[in-house]
Amino acid sequence: MSIIPILYLKSVLITSIQTELTDGEILQFQHELLKKNHDLNAKGIILDVSSLDVIDSYMAKIITDTMSMVMLQGSKLVLCGVQPVVASTLVDMGVVLGSMKMFLNLDQAFCFLTTKEVAQV
Amino acid sequence: MNITLKSMINTVQILSTKDIIVARQQGRELAQNYGFSKGDQIRFATAISELTRNIITYAVQGRCEFYTSENEQEHIILAKIIDHGPGIDNPLLAITDGYSSGSGLGLGLSGAKRLVHEFLIESTPGLTTIEINIKKRKY
Repeated sequence: MSIIPILYLKSVLITSIQTELTDGEILQFQHELLKKNHDLNAKGIILDVSSLDVIDSYMAKIITDTMSMVMLQGSKLVLCGVQPVVASTLVDMGVVLGSMKMFLNLDQAFCFLTTKEVAQV
Repeated sequence: MNITLKSMINTVQILSTKDIIVARQQGRELAQNYGFSKGDQIRFATAISELTRNIITYAVQGRCEFYTSENEQEHIILAKIIDHGPGIDNPLLAITDGYSSGSGLGLGLSGAKRLVHEFLIESTPGLTTIEINIKKRKY
């Protein structure tokens, strides 16, 4: 049973974190995401965080760790929907989300993953 | 610190991850009720999230107490995050960027410190108290 819905649209996996997660739920979520990514041969994953009005360093680590796992699969995970106040708070804290590709919203993230064959970096 | 008056608003017991959310929501609401900007509300809530999460990670349980106060020029909202865990050996080191004793990014304390106006920490084995506040000018 999924903690967090993972949707599949035109070869792109889309998921949205909207709640706080326990350690067990995080692992389960990451596992499910990686498995679906592999089984469906998806073009990539969009992680939407537009519902999160607080992203602390723990949540930031969940996001960057998940991205690293997806990269090890040879796939892509992009972020979208960081709220303006959250963005400024993350910068104030000094949290850097590394080499993640980020997009303003789901629309732009989806266009990125589907418009052309995105070359492996 | 020139805090003249302190009224305790309430206390949130921190026993599980769910309590982190409760504490930060209450912190945010308190800031909102006192007319703080959304930026201040979220920064305060995020600092509370970092600090209460440390309780879960290192101290098993603790509490977050909310106070309001004021001085001549400013309204002040305070949160005291208290636990009876093993304590932080070297608080000054712990609030340096990048330092981590756990599996985190090492930004819990230093990150939280940057989000608030004042940050006080006292830690001995058996008692750690972190007090943070945000201030808003009266007009």
